[in-house]
Amino acid sequence: MSTSARGRGELEREVLAAVAAAPAPVSANDVLRDLGGALAYTTVMTTLARLESKGVLTRQLDGRAYRYSLSGDPAEVDASLAAHRMRKVLESRPDRAGVLARFVADLSDEDEQILLALLAPETELPVSGGEAGSP
Amino acid sequence: MTLLLVPVLVSLALGLVAGPLERRLPPATAARLLTASALVTALATGFVLGVAGFVALSQVPFVAALGQWSRTALQQSHIPQVLGAAAGALVLALIGRAVRHAIVAVRHLCAAEATCRRLGPGADGLVVTDDSVPDAYAVQGLSGRIVVSRAMLSGLPADERRVLLAHEASHLRHRHHVYVQLTQLAAAANPALRQVTDAVQVAVERWADEDAAADVGDRPLAARALARASLLRHRSSTAAPGSRPASALAAVTNSVVVRTQALLRPAPRPRRALVLSTTVLVLCAAAAAGLTAHDTEHQFELARHLLHHTS
Repeated sequence: MSTSARGRGELEREVLAAVAAAPAPVSANDVLRDLGGALAYTTVMTTLARLESKGVLTRQLDGRAYRYSLSGDPAEVDASLAAHRMRKVLESRPDRAGVLARFVADLSDEDEQILLALLAPETELPVSGGEAGSP
Repeated sequence: MTLLLVPVLVSLALGLVAGPLERRLPPATAARLLTASALVTALATGFVLGVAGFVALSQVPFVAALGQWSRTALQQSHIPQVLGAAAGALVLALIGRAVRHAIVAVRHLCAAEATCRRLGPGADGLVVTDDSVPDAYAVQGLSGRIVVSRAMLSGLPADERRVLLAHEASHLRHRHHVYVQLTQLAAAANPALRQVTDAVQVAVERWADEDAAADVGDRPLAARALARASLLRHRSSTAAPGSRPASALAAVTNSVVVRTQALLRPAPRPRRALVLSTTVLVLCAAAAAGLTAHDTEHQFELARHLLHHTS
């Protein structure tokens, strides 16, 4: 696990990604355990609170701690639709690459085998959500 | 005549070396060098063709009279009139292509910007969609957004999610779309530069990969993230055929494997000799354009001078 410093924006994105990756609402402790590294509990807590005040996350009190999940409000759903439509339009244009940069391209079956071999030492594809519940 | 050929030859040479340069240079250097080279070469080619066309046009009696030039002096031009006329027609067609391309590119930028607005600010530019298809991409308008589906996020461990986010953030921070769009424009104006566009597209992806690897300080981790994200996406698409439109990405199908393997090797070293020789190559095209301008100006001065003295 790397220890290089994160900027505030970077941290917000990572915390949001951690909440979105989890199958159920998560506490600050869950996020901290998931992200690991050199993060402090208070840093994660303030970041979660900031995301909640921006309306990206919602929280509910569970015992003595808040649990956070994606807000899923109408504005967010609208955003998903906008993203989806943009993707459809641009995918139909061969010269769309200028404005839409995808993380990964499509694979051939041969590519799949090469990539699987690269990941082989780990034997399986771990799913982070599956580990969230363990202490 | 030879001067006219230099930028054309440089364009062809650049098309040939673009791929090898992209594979050998650090990707940020490759993207910058190739974009600048493509622009200069496209401008130089367009310029010399334009000048040849103008010289041919100026020999038409009506135009020569209008410009007060001696036709006999202009006819001594080293470019045959037929060839000049062809060059002129070609340059008009190429300018038309470039303008059409520029309009499409601006329209795409506006669409991207409108999408960014509708996406809202998100968490510092990150928008999570509740999509069952694992996907992650950057929408690059004037502002930019990183869009990642929940399916992609939940399929990656935390440290690999960090690689993905750093990769997309690099696209936005360095405005990679500008490099791609400028070389696309250059290739529209000069089809010999097509390969340069492809090389720059690979280079900006590699640039973002290298940035992400540097951000997390772990190259094998970055390679794993790339491999796993590709496999996630691939499996969902084979599981549900027809759920995604047949995309036009076939040309770069292999690039995920190439990118992953590049991350498993040490970061490419700067190579001054390669950068320098490419720069010299491109400067040849620029110099040919400059010389053409100088010679032609001289020729027209002479033609005007002769007309005034013979009349």
